[in-house]
Amino acid sequence: MASTQHVLLSPAELAYLHASLSLTPPIRPDGRTRTQFRPLVAETGILPGANGSARICFADGTEAIVGVKAEVERTQSRHDDETVYVEGAANNGGDGDAETKEDSRTGDSSWAEMTVEIPGLRDDDSGTAFLAAMLSEALLADGEFARRLWINRRFHWKLYLDIILISPPLSYPLPLLSLTTHLALLSTRLPRLQSEGDEDPFFDDDWAAAPHLFPRPTTTTPTHRPPITLLVMAVGDSIIFDPSKEELAVADVALAVSVSGDRSEPGEGGAGRKLRLLSIRTIDPPSRLTPPGVANAANSAYGAGNGAPQKMAEARTAEAEAAAEEGVWRAPRGGAKRAVLGALVQKVLEAGGVVDEVLDALEGVDLG
Amino acid sequence: MPLDTSAYNLALLRVDGRRWNELRRVHAQIRTQAAADGSSYLEMGHTKVMCVVTGPSEPGPRRGGAGAGGGGGSGGKDAEVAVSIVIAGFSSVDRKRHGKGDKRTLELQSTVSNALSASLHTHLFPHSQINISLHVLSQDGSLLAALINAATLACVDAGIPMTDYVAACTAGSTSTYAANDEAADPLLDLNHQEEQELPGLTVATLGNSDRVAVLVCESRVQVGRLEGMLAVGVDGCKQMREILDRVVREKGQRMIQEGTVERGVGLNDMDVD
Repeated sequence: MASTQHVLLSPAELAYLHASLSLTPPIRPDGRTRTQFRPLVAETGILPGANGSARICFADGTEAIVGVKAEVERTQSRHDDETVYVEGAANNGGDGDAETKEDSRTGDSSWAEMTVEIPGLRDDDSGTAFLAAMLSEALLADGEFARRLWINRRFHWKLYLDIILISPPLSYPLPLLSLTTHLALLSTRLPRLQSEGDEDPFFDDDWAAAPHLFPRPTTTTPTHRPPITLLVMAVGDSIIFDPSKEELAVADVALAVSVSGDRSEPGEGGAGRKLRLLSIRTIDPPSRLTPPGVANAANSAYGAGNGAPQKMAEARTAEAEAAAEEGVWRAPRGGAKRAVLGALVQKVLEAGGVVDEVLDALEGVDLG
Repeated sequence: MPLDTSAYNLALLRVDGRRWNELRRVHAQIRTQAAADGSSYLEMGHTKVMCVVTGPSEPGPRRGGAGAGGGGGSGGKDAEVAVSIVIAGFSSVDRKRHGKGDKRTLELQSTVSNALSASLHTHLFPHSQINISLHVLSQDGSLLAALINAATLACVDAGIPMTDYVAACTAGSTSTYAANDEAADPLLDLNHQEEQELPGLTVATLGNSDRVAVLVCESRVQVGRLEGMLAVGVDGCKQMREILDRVVREKGQRMIQEGTVERGVGLNDMDVD
């Protein structure tokens, strides 16, 4: 999908862009620094009919809406689970009850369902499915999230996350969708449970009393936050965050890195935040599909090949690939270098770095 | 939960406290999104719709998301109006996934497309395509009317020449078809609960005139009641046109004040300050 979207840039323009991005510090077309994000407008709680919702509008005009809806579902119990349950119930005295309850809070990744809707693409488009898989993978990576959906041994919440891209996909929408999902999850509230134990769940109908799925940060307890997935790319040795479509068109490597930032100890800013790497995916950068430039020496318009006998076409291509010439665009070939990948991940996980900045900004959004 | 219509005759008030000829609260915005050629956001009660218009532009190699083509195919003398409607899974009370090939969505698409291609001056843009993509965020009745109104606003924002506003509204009747009540009154602007139980129709008119652009009736209704419903619906469309017009004018004034656009000639009679 959008990662392989065509960018209308000539080989000369691509070469120029590549050269200016590989400088230290890189010069980006929109004048940002390498870690700077595009400005965005965010709001939450826009849909009273959903358990949680958020809308984010990037400055380049891409806009996404995420709605979270929850339903109570009966937990499918397997046969062997059932025996454990009976034994557990038999062993439980009155006092050990609370402890066992904590232990039995298990989740299943099928309890959260994520769909991505992008205008102009089919439902079963591979790109859309890949985006949805990437986002839900990060969310479910540690199993902690699914455990939050546990009601009792017989019932659980089924969470539906519907992600809608409102605007046409102008740039690779992964960061946008991820940030919007993060905000929507932060604003998600589930009705307060009134029933006890394993009886059929019964909920408080006072919405004001409904607790948040991710409790508000307090000064005493560590808080758990949903993950964010960021797009990072490397051109030469420079590492660039939140690339625009044009920048992505000259990327050597593009990575989608999912990070969660749980606050282990309370504090202002990124001080008490523990960043955890949840998943990494390489994104196939559109730069691989760009047409290569032709050096003047090999260009017949500049007199090349006039005197020499006509070479076979393949021989000439091989020759052109062997000799990398400054200022002549050649699409990146092969995989990413290990050192570059390591540097990318390290840059993302840097304390007080970009992720802290983004999470701080997202915490600043009024959750209503 | 079945709708209790027996109480209506006592106080002449509907379930949501409206009288028979009252619209729900309508809130609309245009130019909600910077990247699009035209965009709008419309709320009719709890029905919330967003619209993004791209074009008129050259039709792409892929006919991306072109659900239903309206007046004239692309490559013809007229621009093609391609409408795609995405109904969000979270829009209704119970979460329901609506596929792209949903028959009901396809029908909505072709209705909106036909309604707008009749009003837009598509002959000015040969061999091109106008993409209208509509997103339903929340639904509570009168969905088709909200879609048509939102699409009209977005087309105005996109600056596509058009004859006049296509303003739409629904109308219904106070008692069910089965009740066969002779004295049933017409109702304006049905919500979801009323739409489920009572006969209703969606009507869209062209601007201030009484010319009907769309008339969709999907329920059984005695033919004697139809005239009353249609008259009320057309009246509602006129109110709706005023609302849409006000939204466009307010936005225009604000843009002139902010200096986004220059004050054009012939605007002197308009009250701008």
